Amino acid sequence: MSAGERFADAFSLPKDMVVNATLLHMVGASELFVENFKGIIAYTCHEVLIKGNHMKYCVCGECLTIEHYSNEDMKISGQIKEVKVIREA
Amino acid sequence: MQNRWIRFVRGFLVIKIDGDYMERFFNMCRMHEIDLWEIKKEQNICMCEAYAADFLKMPPLLKKTGTKAHVVKKKGLPFYFPFIKKRIIFFAGVLLCLIMLNYVTKYVWAIEYVGNLQVSNDELSDFLEQESIHYGMKKSSINCEEKEKKLRETFQNVTWTSIYFEGTKLYIEIKENEKSEPVQFETKGTDIVANEAGTITSIVTRNGVPRVKAGDTVEKGQVLVSGGVPVYDESQSIIDYQIYDADADIFIQTPIEYKGSINSGYPVMIYTGNHANTGFAQIGKYYIDGLALWDFAGKYLSPKKNETLYETAIEKHQVVLLDSIYLPVYYGKIDRKEYYIKYFTYTDEEMQSKLSENFEKFILGLQEKGVQIVEKDVKMERNSIGMELNGSLLVVKQTGETIEIPRNTVQEDETKE
Repeated sequence: MSAGERFADAFSLPKDMVVNATLLHMVGASELFVENFKGIIAYTCHEVLIKGNHMKYCVCGECLTIEHYSNEDMKISGQIKEVKVIREA
Repeated sequence: MQNRWIRFVRGFLVIKIDGDYMERFFNMCRMHEIDLWEIKKEQNICMCEAYAADFLKMPPLLKKTGTKAHVVKKKGLPFYFPFIKKRIIFFAGVLLCLIMLNYVTKYVWAIEYVGNLQVSNDELSDFLEQESIHYGMKKSSINCEEKEKKLRETFQNVTWTSIYFEGTKLYIEIKENEKSEPVQFETKGTDIVANEAGTITSIVTRNGVPRVKAGDTVEKGQVLVSGGVPVYDESQSIIDYQIYDADADIFIQTPIEYKGSINSGYPVMIYTGNHANTGFAQIGKYYIDGLALWDFAGKYLSPKKNETLYETAIEKHQVVLLDSIYLPVYYGKIDRKEYYIKYFTYTDEEMQSKLSENFEKFILGLQEKGVQIVEKDVKMERNSIGMELNGSLLVVKQTGETIEIPRNTVQEDETKE
């Protein structure tokens, strides 16, 4: 656990704010809300690669659509099969 | 995230994007606060949607990322304005219609009575007329609570009232007292007098003192049962009178005269076969129908005599919206049949038969009222205009009319005693 995370735990602060972590909120297997991210690295109907803070997130599935894409958040919908976290070296 | 309505109102575009660096384009849009949605990618074709205003900010980003954007479709309210502009009269008509609808729904165009069994519709209509409530008046000018109170005060057997509107219809809902108690009349002191002259056949007195007995001959207006009951003292002299309402079943045998006549000539409506089936429409006080056109055509095509008569049947409907908004608009059918009157003459046998039939009906009517026929003597005679029937009947019927005891009658009786 990083120092930032420990600090957030100690003071009961939201971790995404303290360590600038990406927030992923999934509803079933069809909707995924993403907040606090840096951008899209790659997008196809089978895969969406999202760039977070020192991490990448890979959403795999079928018929993936970016229903909403703004400065604050994005919403991915479709048949989500897998969400992978890729740590940057 | 903005909802669809905001997107519709602001107006948005469906854009097709081509190029190798689409992801970079999306990220740059994000950095420049350009919202994108419905991003779909199928076989190297990427479609997305964006606000029309934001599209103008895109060219530098497209240039930087080397992508191309094509507008596929324009959606939203701003793109409908040219469409509306071309059809301004149609939309003005719709708007005018809505304004008129809003105007007419402020008035009462129908009245319905609910729950009245003892109080008739006519009585309720009279009440509304007294209270100046009528068709075509403003709904806001009717104070329902006040009228409900007045309605209860006017009709004693009404226990609950509700006056309310549904659309343009005014409902007068009432509940009546079903278990109405028999009305208690005050004892006023009444006599029973003969309605007609004749011979009394039977008399059964329930209240009062009978002044006649069976077999007595009486005159019209003669007292049959007196409501003043004498009170005797020990020496059998009258000391006072107790006043009652006389009540009795009295039957009298009395003669009745019947006169019936018939004219030898009688009119018959003969239809010419000319029908006029047309329609009409009425908006408020303005009325239009197809009869004027029909008459105009008839006048030139087949001129008729001046004395043309018509039998007209009108079927009228009121325009109702959503089952409750009654509009002052009426329409319907008019069925007009042309006829003329022809006079025929009855034969003697026909006249006799008609007169006999009428007389039999008269007898039947008497019997239904409980009148017994004792004797009947009928004569038929021909006169200058036709034939007449004179009948003399001797009947037994119920008699007795209640009248208040005149004030001086009891005193007179006391004097006589």
